[in-house]
Amino acid sequence: MVRGAGRGGRGMPGRGGMGRPPFNRPRVLMLRPPFDLILAEPAFPRCKPAPDDSALTQALLKRHAELCPTPAEQSAVLSLVTKLQTVLDNLVVAPGDFAACQLEEVRQVGSYKKGTMMAGKNVADIVVIMKTLPTKEAVEGLSNKVNEELNKLMRAEGAGSVSCGCHERGFTVTSSGAASAAVRVLVTTLHQNLRKLEPEVHLDYKVISSHLAAIRHSRWFEENAHHSSIKVLIRLLRDMCARHSGLEPLTPWMIDLLAHHCIMNNPARQALPINVAFRRALSLVAGGLFLPGCAGLPDPCEAAHARAHTALDLAAQDAAAATAQTLLRVVARGGHRYVLGLQAFEGGKDISTEITVWDGVVVSPLAPAYQETPEPMDTDDKDDEGVQDGVAA
Amino acid sequence: MMAANNYFGFTHGGTQYGAATAGAAYGGQTGYAVAPAATAATYGTQRAAATGYDTAYQAAAATQDVYAAAAHAHAHAAVAAASAYDASKSAYYQQAAAAYPAAAPPQPQPTYDAAAAKPAYSTPATYTQNTIVVQGGARAGGGAKAYGGVYTHTHSHTATTAAASYPAQPYTAPAAQPPKQSANRGNTAYDTALYNAATMYVAQQNKTGGGGGWKNYNKGGVGAGQQRRPKPPPKAQQLHYCDVCRISCAGPQTYKEHLEGQKHKKKEAAVKLAAAGGGAGGAGGGGGAGRAGGGAALRCELCDVTCTGADAYAAHVRGIKHQKVVKLHTMLGKPIPSTEPTKLGGAKKTVAGTPKIAFVASGGLSTVASTSTKEQKPPQGDKDKEGDEKEDEGETEPEVQPVGQDYIEEIRGDDGKALSFNCKLCDCKFNDPNAKEMHMKGRRHRLQYKKKVQPDLEVKVKPSMHQRKLAEAKAQRLLVRDEIWARRRMHEGMEEEERGYWEGGMEPWWPRGPLPPHHHHHHHGMGVPYGPVGRRPETSDDRHVVAKHAEIYPPEQQLQDIQRVVSHTEKALKSLSDALADHARPKAQAGNKAQNDKKDDKPEGKEDGRDNQLFSFVGEGEAAAGGAEGAAAAAAGAGTAGTAGTAGTAAAAGGPRALKGVMRVGLLAKGLLLRGDRDVRLVVLCHDRPTVTLLKRVATDLPAHLAKVKAPGDDTKYKVELLPAEGAVQVSDGSINVLVSLTSAVMREPAEGGDIKRDDKDVLPRQKCLDALAALRHAKWFQARAASLQSCVIIIRIMRDLCRRIPNWTPLNPYAMELLVSGVMQSAGAALSPGEALRRVMEAVGGGLLLDHGPGLRDPCEKELVDALGNLPPQKREDLTASAQQFLRQIAFRQIHKVLDMEPLPKLKHATGGWKFPRKRRRSNTDTEGDQPNGEGKVVKTEEKMDASENSAKK
Repeated sequence: MVRGAGRGGRGMPGRGGMGRPPFNRPRVLMLRPPFDLILAEPAFPRCKPAPDDSALTQALLKRHAELCPTPAEQSAVLSLVTKLQTVLDNLVVAPGDFAACQLEEVRQVGSYKKGTMMAGKNVADIVVIMKTLPTKEAVEGLSNKVNEELNKLMRAEGAGSVSCGCHERGFTVTSSGAASAAVRVLVTTLHQNLRKLEPEVHLDYKVISSHLAAIRHSRWFEENAHHSSIKVLIRLLRDMCARHSGLEPLTPWMIDLLAHHCIMNNPARQALPINVAFRRALSLVAGGLFLPGCAGLPDPCEAAHARAHTALDLAAQDAAAATAQTLLRVVARGGHRYVLGLQAFEGGKDISTEITVWDGVVVSPLAPAYQETPEPMDTDDKDDEGVQDGVAA
Repeated sequence: MMAANNYFGFTHGGTQYGAATAGAAYGGQTGYAVAPAATAATYGTQRAAATGYDTAYQAAAATQDVYAAAAHAHAHAAVAAASAYDASKSAYYQQAAAAYPAAAPPQPQPTYDAAAAKPAYSTPATYTQNTIVVQGGARAGGGAKAYGGVYTHTHSHTATTAAASYPAQPYTAPAAQPPKQSANRGNTAYDTALYNAATMYVAQQNKTGGGGGWKNYNKGGVGAGQQRRPKPPPKAQQLHYCDVCRISCAGPQTYKEHLEGQKHKKKEAAVKLAAAGGGAGGAGGGGGAGRAGGGAALRCELCDVTCTGADAYAAHVRGIKHQKVVKLHTMLGKPIPSTEPTKLGGAKKTVAGTPKIAFVASGGLSTVASTSTKEQKPPQGDKDKEGDEKEDEGETEPEVQPVGQDYIEEIRGDDGKALSFNCKLCDCKFNDPNAKEMHMKGRRHRLQYKKKVQPDLEVKVKPSMHQRKLAEAKAQRLLVRDEIWARRRMHEGMEEEERGYWEGGMEPWWPRGPLPPHHHHHHHGMGVPYGPVGRRPETSDDRHVVAKHAEIYPPEQQLQDIQRVVSHTEKALKSLSDALADHARPKAQAGNKAQNDKKDDKPEGKEDGRDNQLFSFVGEGEAAAGGAEGAAAAAAGAGTAGTAGTAGTAAAAGGPRALKGVMRVGLLAKGLLLRGDRDVRLVVLCHDRPTVTLLKRVATDLPAHLAKVKAPGDDTKYKVELLPAEGAVQVSDGSINVLVSLTSAVMREPAEGGDIKRDDKDVLPRQKCLDALAALRHAKWFQARAASLQSCVIIIRIMRDLCRRIPNWTPLNPYAMELLVSGVMQSAGAALSPGEALRRVMEAVGGGLLLDHGPGLRDPCEKELVDALGNLPPQKREDLTASAQQFLRQIAFRQIHKVLDMEPLPKLKHATGGWKFPRKRRRSNTDTEGDQPNGEGKVVKTEEKMDASENSAKK
């Protein structure tokens, strides 16, 4: 069959499968992007002088400088990644007597690859694609082999030692040295092997496919999001999300997409200034970008119409929106220093859950709207198929 | 001439071929002789160079009209420049088709461009098409069908058999074939063609022979093994022998029964399948290939039985069944092959580089067939090669490397000795190390290993009955599908349509041909996901908003009451204006007045301002002056009163009226009245600055005029109240209040600052007059901009209700709210359903649009940049935003009823299941509710108009 050629093999198993007729998903067409002030500029022309945002800009840049990893950290992780890559490449090219698994390819992914690493989180990610199926034994075997080879290499250079620890995603190589660094080796397998996975024998299907997705994400990022403003915004947003409980569930991939959208997606297609983009990010999330029923951000690395935020569960979507809404109002009242983390708020409390007063204006947090109802709410939006991003922040 | 030859050869060959499949004499060499002759003429030199292949070639050409077809295609290739044969088959086809009527003039071309022509045949579909065109439809459908089927067969064989690399070369890089090929390049191409032909021949033989044994068996006979069907035994023989099942029957009756029996039919079907489509099945259909599936299987040629090992074979030979068959065959005088087993898995290596045609000619067909199956398997690691070599040396059982050592854990006793082993993959235990070894080599373990660890591990598959059935079913499906395709191609004909189908999902293509439905769905779904998809289905949000809207929409009676009171007031004002005008120029305009009266009586004259436009008091007789004044009034409405207003004063020389016209403003003009609204506004445009004197005059005179315009039976009591601070009079009938403001475009003229002070005491409050003017402009803006946006009016009504209900929203003034909503709608870029629209408004406000750093709401009715919401204090903005944010999340989580303050509507019946908008429901909604959700604004408007016309009809 000639025509069938384009049919198979696209997208992840589980999406589009399950015997759904293709016509039964019209809602994808119905979802609308949220209101976005930058894109709605013509309908709302500015009729009052723009506020002086230099304070915010300064604060953003300052915070970003704090978030950038130090040169020592960078070089530590760089050297570890290089060595590990060498070892793994050798295993791909010449496995020799190594029989625990066969390696197809080794790729760097995640924040290290993207250039969005943060200070204090010196963890790089490498995805190893196995030709064989990723059994736990295979992972262990690979981990031992890598440990052995790497230590050999380190000894030759006289550069300390490493240790390997297995976990459900693969294993982590940690180097002990002046500046500690770690590389998470994330194990996955060839795409065609995905459906052969069995829960009790192999690594989890979701984990495996998320690692494959991580490769796609890195590639997309390389091609589309190399603008340094995007990286700046990613660091700031990641930091902000990490410090506010409601925003914590946002995956790095969502943040990447959000930052890219905020910086680049404007009528002029020129990178927006960082302060505008930061406000825009808050405003979009507050405006329901990541709520059910919203088109959200289309995931460029998944099959058509996938939305990035559906990986969150409904309660998390609600909490993320509510937190961003409170933060938006705090920032609007001049509280950006707290939001950015330049200044701790009242003994480390989460500002998004506290009532604050700014120049006599009371800013109060919002109650969650999502309720766990016995009868599941008809949100028609519960896509659990979204793929969790397994890449370190 | 040469092309003609080719053409002839092709058709001829084609017909002959059809005949051959029909079971006629196979050795009809003469029929095919044309094709080789033609090709020989074309490629004389190459052929001379390649004499080594001659015999094989002859055989191939004689059998394979496919080759002739290739030559034929070559003639086209010559015409249509080889470059056309790039990857796009469509281009090829079109060009070829175009070239064809030109009788394809011969083109002496030294190099045989078979490789270039080859890609055209890479798909069965194209091939079939070509056939049809070439034969001009002269061929019967059945013939085409058989042809297509056969082609698939051979094609797949070339793909699999011909040592992988060979056909792959032209397949992968067909576009790269430049026409300027060197001679020896051509030679290889020729080789390719030759080899393809040879392999096809093999396949053909294989097919007709239905496995090597059969062929061998028949060798002593006619030498034509294509007689697959059960034929009645030769008459001379008394024995009833079934060829397919290799049994004899006692008498004609039993023989007949046997022929009708299920067992026989099954076998026959399997054999046929092997003949027609077995090769297409890849995995070896049901035929010889499938039987050869077992790697090192041994075959008893006589009984057509495959044994998995030497022991099994020996047992078979000793067995009673075998003995029976031997006896039978001896009786029949049929040749009995040696009892030596034919090795099936013995995989003699056919090296890709050198096509061993001689090998084919030698008649070792079964071996070749098995080669093909062997070659299909993915290349293995060292151990498999090793196994192959061993097999070559004549060993029957391949040595299997144990796998999965890592997955066998040793359970050790206290002394550290291994007591037992546990295979984690297969979940079984052994006590004996030997058993462990055996297990690790065993098929079950290997299968588990393949399944769980290394997917590309080769495991010898025992062709079980079930698998065989599956393969047969698959082959059958393929066959049917090919047939459908072939038939469809015939219907289709045109390549343009094909492309249209791919690119746009063109409609005309649809009704044709017997298409399997899943194709429609699939491609349609892919091709036009963003196309016009008809009406959007109504969401739950939409239903709630619409229901709420119906709740707050004013009842008919209320609208009629308002309509009546306003209409009366307008008429009374008109009458008053006339009276004032008459009073101002009693004598000069007497005739004019009569004329006016006449005009008023005219049925088509405008009776009141129900079209929400300015209801001018100026009669037609005063057109000269009135025209300019009307312009002035309109200009005031448009916010450019500054210049036009002077024009109005210039026209005043002609004896202007004091009250020029009246217009509905505010809720009434915008159609935003809600249930319970009692206050409406009219604005009267005055010629000059409205003074308190004028206002008093209006207040005193209006009741009389109101009484005059009332319908005879109407006993409504109107009360007129003077509100000098408001610059207005209020007309009330007890329940409905009409505020009539007086204003004038002149009030906007700041240039005459001195003049304003002149009669300051008497002039109405300036701010009130300006407000009234602004209200005029707002009404006009609304009618021009907002009312036309889909869902805008309905959402503004909903928002008005919201602002009335919720304290946080009260500070949002109506005009700002209208600006906000219309801006939000406008920025959506497309029509929004009511539910979406409300959500989008909440998104905008929740996203911080109204916060301090936002852009503000620019008032389009002012020349300067004015923020319609400029005076909102920060705390109010904050509260408004927070409230909108909460609402937004409530809407998102299906609690829109909380936002709208209503009971949640019950779910629709069809809302069960994960998919919210099943077709059925959408349809029922469309049927019952018509245009409601989308055309709401317009519907309301027309309703109002209908009310009005009903009113006037009553009068």
